[in-house]
Amino acid sequence: MMRKFLPALAAAVLVTLVAAGCAGTADPNGPIVVGSVNALSGPATFPESSQAAKAVFDAANAAGGVHGRKIEYHAIDDKGDPAAAAAAAREIVGGDQAVALVGSSSLIECQINAKYYQQEKVLSISGIGVDPSCFTSPNIGPANVGPFHDMTLTLLYGSEVLHLEDMCALLEIAGNTLPYYRAAIDEWSKITGKKLKYVDATVPYNGSDYTPYIVKARAAGCKAVTVNPVEPDSIGQLKAAQAQGWKDVTWLLLTSVYSEQYAKAVSEAGQGVYVPAEFYPFTDPSSPRTKEWRDLMTRNNIPLTSFSQGGYLAAKYFLQVLNGMQGEITRESVTKALREMKPISDPMVGTPYVFGPGQTHHDNTAGWPVKLATGTNRWQIAGTDWLRIPRR
Amino acid sequence: MVQGALAGLAAGGLYAVLAVCLTLMSRLVRVVNFAQAATGMFGSYVGVALSVHGGLPEWLAVVLGVLLGGVLSVLIGWVVSTWLAEAGTGTRSAVTVAVLLLLISLSFILFGNKPQPFQALLAGPAFTVGGVVISQVTVVTVALAVVIAFAARLILTKTPVGISLRALSERPTTAELLGIPAKRLSAAVWGATGLISTVIIVIVAPSQSNDATSLSMLVVPAAAAALLGGFRRLDLAVAGGLVLGMLQGALAQVDQLSVVRNFVPFLAIVGLLVWSQRKEVWDAAR
Repeated sequence: MMRKFLPALAAAVLVTLVAAGCAGTADPNGPIVVGSVNALSGPATFPESSQAAKAVFDAANAAGGVHGRKIEYHAIDDKGDPAAAAAAAREIVGGDQAVALVGSSSLIECQINAKYYQQEKVLSISGIGVDPSCFTSPNIGPANVGPFHDMTLTLLYGSEVLHLEDMCALLEIAGNTLPYYRAAIDEWSKITGKKLKYVDATVPYNGSDYTPYIVKARAAGCKAVTVNPVEPDSIGQLKAAQAQGWKDVTWLLLTSVYSEQYAKAVSEAGQGVYVPAEFYPFTDPSSPRTKEWRDLMTRNNIPLTSFSQGGYLAAKYFLQVLNGMQGEITRESVTKALREMKPISDPMVGTPYVFGPGQTHHDNTAGWPVKLATGTNRWQIAGTDWLRIPRR
Repeated sequence: MVQGALAGLAAGGLYAVLAVCLTLMSRLVRVVNFAQAATGMFGSYVGVALSVHGGLPEWLAVVLGVLLGGVLSVLIGWVVSTWLAEAGTGTRSAVTVAVLLLLISLSFILFGNKPQPFQALLAGPAFTVGGVVISQVTVVTVALAVVIAFAARLILTKTPVGISLRALSERPTTAELLGIPAKRLSAAVWGATGLISTVIIVIVAPSQSNDATSLSMLVVPAAAAALLGGFRRLDLAVAGGLVLGMLQGALAQVDQLSVVRNFVPFLAIVGLLVWSQRKEVWDAAR
């Protein structure tokens, strides 16, 4: 019985070995493989970033590709799970031999894979960088501002534009983020010479009832509160403030809450919710700044969110660098080109993008202020220009 | 501290209501229903969907959501009492863990994982005591907990239905042989607790984190509260819920203790279990 199977088994093993051998070498005329690691399932999902990057690459392929070669884009799910995130990176970098990663957006991916990318000498232009490792690795250069500069910006807007006093911070700390948020607050203090009245770094993620923290902040005399929340938490905090009748408070939040759903869920926003949007506000449908992105997203049925802006921009930057390259397109040459690239401007961002040779990539320092006022259920533009962190 | 404790009353009332439901289920149908809060979550989510996407008037959507919570609960009860009529409490309760996971997954599939635009039925402060604001939600949840516990007690001790229910929970087979309609009565208990959980979740969901997981996991502090009454006594379940909420609220006021706050329900569970088993002999307690 076993003898019948032996030839078939041998053939299968042979085919597998040949295939494995072939996987290691990239065909110079075949497709250019690009990948991304994303939170497509799990507790928090951001599928729009990689969807937007794919839409950009599909459009480029339809127009003839890059130097006659098509781009093959592999977006892998990290399930919000460290082991899956590590496996996803190895599948793209080691298995598929991707030349670079473009448009990744995940809560944990940078922290898990930063060292591996260094080891494999591959670069990643994340669509949306979230955790501190996205901004402190030589091999990862996100397209977005990131939550830390965003916090400095939101504080600057509160103190310098709205002229608010008695500002406080409620920080939701996950993992190793506390020193980075503290640094962001210190940056604001150095620029303005002002101090926060009160900082509570004990606010839990996914807390059920935020009333005790709200009561505490109110008792401390806060007139404005900056928070780094995820959407459901922020809604819980605003509702808790509403239940307490705390109306004379201004919320200085981050791009993490800048979405249509959030606006629909918040009716009572005290003196207003202010956010420095990391990209030009997508809720302004008439702006020519976002037209190209909006048209592409609408054509591909991709939600109009900050995440899809990040993924779109990451892919655009990458394409521009790729189109400017001479000679072979390999991981080595792409890495070299990104390290030596000239800054690329785009109307959707306030800071031109450059990967460059730096040991860290945290150079995007401009946001566009938007506001959500009580009773409106919609975001409004709250500025006429980019708000920038001044160079010191 | 006092301010914090009073701020925690809203959560306390919510825990108390759910703890009363858990206690009733445990006493009358021999189930620790882990899907107690998840049923309410699912009903309230459907209510929101009907109002936002279905275009129904808000009151009607809420009523339908609450009814669905009740029906869902009856359905789980029917499964348990049909196939696990003679099984032990542990086995019957294990089924509800599966239901809990199913409902969380189903809500992600149907409604995504973005926050739902819950419209608040009650918003704003009710009154102020010594500089501390007591919100409308707090008043309603605490009142509901007390009223439901009293009503349940009255029904169980003073009405024929209550007597039948108690007979059914003590000796299910004997009660059935005496002609007590076991299935219908347990379905009624499942349905009633399903309706109550959905109502309380509909009330609190707009004023707190309302993603599927947070709402479903409210069963943990509720179980800690129910444990104070040993899953038998309604008055202690209410007291347990209120004390737990107030304790969490008070702990949040002290930075150094704030971390402990999230573990309070678990600490309470462990502490109460150890205390209740203190006189047991090792072999007998196993």
